[in-house]
Amino acid sequence: MFKKNAVAAGMAAFASVALAAGCAVADGSKGSDVDITAMSAEELAEYFIFETGSFRDQEMQEGGTWRDRMTQDDIQKACSMEGNPDGETAGRVVAMARASYEAPESIELGDWRKGAELADSGFGYRMGHNNDNHGQREPGGNCYNCHVFDPRVSVQGTIGPSLVNYGANRGTSEAVLRYVHEVISNPHQYFPCTEMPRFNTVDRQLLTDEQISHIMAYLLDPESPVNNQ
Amino acid sequence: MFKKALLALPVAMAVGAAAQAGEWQDPNDVLQNLLQNNPDSKYLHQSEMNIMMMPDNPALWLVEEGEELFYAQRGPNNVSLEGCDFGKGPGELEGAYVELPRYFDDVGKVMDFEMRLVHCMKELQGFTSDDSAVGQRHGSGSDIMKLTTYIAHQSSGMAWNPPLDHPEEQAMRDAGEVLFFRRGGAMDFNCASCHGDAGKQIRASVLPQMRDSQEWTKAVSWPAHRAGQDNVRSQNHRIRGCVWQMRHAGILPDTPVNTALISFWNDAARGEPAILPDLKR
Repeated sequence: MFKKNAVAAGMAAFASVALAAGCAVADGSKGSDVDITAMSAEELAEYFIFETGSFRDQEMQEGGTWRDRMTQDDIQKACSMEGNPDGETAGRVVAMARASYEAPESIELGDWRKGAELADSGFGYRMGHNNDNHGQREPGGNCYNCHVFDPRVSVQGTIGPSLVNYGANRGTSEAVLRYVHEVISNPHQYFPCTEMPRFNTVDRQLLTDEQISHIMAYLLDPESPVNNQ
Repeated sequence: MFKKALLALPVAMAVGAAAQAGEWQDPNDVLQNLLQNNPDSKYLHQSEMNIMMMPDNPALWLVEEGEELFYAQRGPNNVSLEGCDFGKGPGELEGAYVELPRYFDDVGKVMDFEMRLVHCMKELQGFTSDDSAVGQRHGSGSDIMKLTTYIAHQSSGMAWNPPLDHPEEQAMRDAGEVLFFRRGGAMDFNCASCHGDAGKQIRASVLPQMRDSQEWTKAVSWPAHRAGQDNVRSQNHRIRGCVWQMRHAGILPDTPVNTALISFWNDAARGEPAILPDLKR
């Protein structure tokens, strides 16, 4: 899971930074041993993250260490700008996203009730002073933090577009099913550098195919409250 | 020193003066001015209840408790914190909080407020990390939050003005900006995922936009009593909570990533009056 093809490159960058700063052992908690003004802001940010003990040394729920989780992959790197990506970046991100998506042979809608529970669950993957134990409760989709599904529920977010009547307006054709599966799995295929997480790629499975089928049912099933507004 | 100046409220509202960089103002007056100047800000106006409660902000109790702690002779060395230099000279608290983080010659690095406070409690008073006085960072009952609230209150209404004259101060601020926009973690978020646009909500919470300095000054005005948690919280606590929700790794206090983020935060509110202490949802 969470393959990090950027790890090697990142580590090489720190090595050269450390050499340039003339230090063998980096410890940012002391003031004197590294010249932080000798690095670019980008180098310094990476140095701070990986070489100064700024994070708890913990194993992550997805496997791997805090270091693996904090190492950027190529899409994260490409999208770390203020505002929208330029055309070249957007095209590159779409291409990377398409390359990391595997279409299932067939897509069927699951149980919209289970989908509603997953969409409304903010549990999972939090680490630090409190750790989400996936053995006790399955991680959810966090969808309600950013999307309105049901205007009768007042505590849904607006960072993403409203999804009220999503299925009522689009139907459940094969093309719609494929599109929704693609967007939930890796939204950068259509919205490069979107704020929305990638929920299922060849490198990462925040949600299983079955969980996605339930969330898709919540969005598309004619019986779902999303489509009865 | 600055007791709850509740009676000054009508006067300040009548004057309605914009914040002067060096002038202390009651935190409620600062908030009322921001509300009047930004009638369309959903973030600033989101909780009528909290705005109403502001003159009786429970955080003001910590100001009094913190003042006692600050001047008390404490720790193995049995000294007060009057020898602590927050950047304006030993014991000089007025305006110190809004001019942090800054570079300190005695340690040869940039420190944020909490780092500096802990540094003084260890170096002057002789506390160690094992003592709850410095080990317990969160909660209205903690010494750290009482001292933080008292010291911060001495800068209420003054404009955020973290110094950038020293090259390390500028470097910390610039690294903080990169960190703010750095996508990462299990869900690809950066700080701008939530603070890039005005008026957006996570669930029921309206989020402050970082580039709107009048929203952002309230956003970074910690310590603040968090009504939903019934505790006074710090900038560090806010960062820890955000990073946790972002599904990054667990961030630690007194570390460069934390300080760099605060350097950028406070710089982004530069020139705007601080609400110290604030009251938040």
